[in-house]
Amino acid sequence: MADLRFLIVDDFSTMRRIVRNLLKEIGHGDADEAEDGVVALHKLRNGKFDFVVSDINMPNMNGFELLSQIKADDKLKHIPVLMVTAEARKEDIIAAAQGGAAGYIVKPFTKATLEEKLANIFKKMGL
Amino acid sequence: MSHDNQDNTSTEMFQRLGAITRQLHDALNQLGYTPVLKDTVDELPDARSRLEYIARLTGEAAEKVLNRVDEAKAEQERVIDSSRQLVETIRGVPGLKWAMPELLEWSEKIQQGAERTDHHLTEIMMAQDFHDLTGQVIKKVVSLAATIEEQLVQLLLHAAPQVLTDTDAKKVAEVAATPALNGPVVDPEGRTDVVTDQAGVDDLLASLGF
Repeated sequence: MADLRFLIVDDFSTMRRIVRNLLKEIGHGDADEAEDGVVALHKLRNGKFDFVVSDINMPNMNGFELLSQIKADDKLKHIPVLMVTAEARKEDIIAAAQGGAAGYIVKPFTKATLEEKLANIFKKMGL
Repeated sequence: MSHDNQDNTSTEMFQRLGAITRQLHDALNQLGYTPVLKDTVDELPDARSRLEYIARLTGEAAEKVLNRVDEAKAEQERVIDSSRQLVETIRGVPGLKWAMPELLEWSEKIQQGAERTDHHLTEIMMAQDFHDLTGQVIKKVVSLAATIEEQLVQLLLHAAPQVLTDTDAKKVAEVAATPALNGPVVDPEGRTDVVTDQAGVDDLLASLGF
């Protein structure tokens, strides 16, 4: 698999760091971080990213708005977005799936869960 | 129920609420509770700042743990690499393997132990997600406290406007206007609108064909 560049979006630096370290352990060491949807969208439009891992509850622009903006942008809509969030409401999970999220992980999660969801998404992408 | 009946019920309800509010207003003044209410309003910002202090300190503690875990994992990686090389070297020299079998055994144990420690370190790292989860709950409580404070200020403005300054009211309104984030479900028991774990998420998405 070619080296993929990840963008990790979460307003908590602790969680960004945990996801970044986990991705590195799984074999994806190329990652950048954004603290909310606004910063993430700016980075996505000004850089090259292959995958987004995003929280939902964030100030300025939440994960749903970010997902919607990515899917509405012809240059970005091909990028898979994996939601990693504390939101456990069924309506949120359904909204994320209908909005085009590639996967949904509820916090707290394990390394095995992240690994499994990434593998499923890569398989669908043909990677 | 007809539209007229609904209107009558609503009017009656609002009249009752109005009466209760008036009674509360009179009771506060007559019983001398206005200063108590003012004290409560004054204490709420302190409660908010204490919660924010907890959030900040737990965040700093989590960062310290992550720093140490990063350092320990790097060291552990070196031990794993070195012990792996040692095992390969011993296995590649038949005379050495037979002359000192315990050397190979110990080297393998070092390698396995280092791998187990690395796994424990990953678990310690993952456990720091408490900061994100508790932080979101604290933000929600802080927002709730701001809303209660705003409501109490409004009550005071009506009951005893002389005890509040315009700055008090403006400051509180600004804090309460900050949108509250939803965050984790603290007590999912008895709720059907939430899932409790990742299996619940996967089942829900699978049932919908995703």
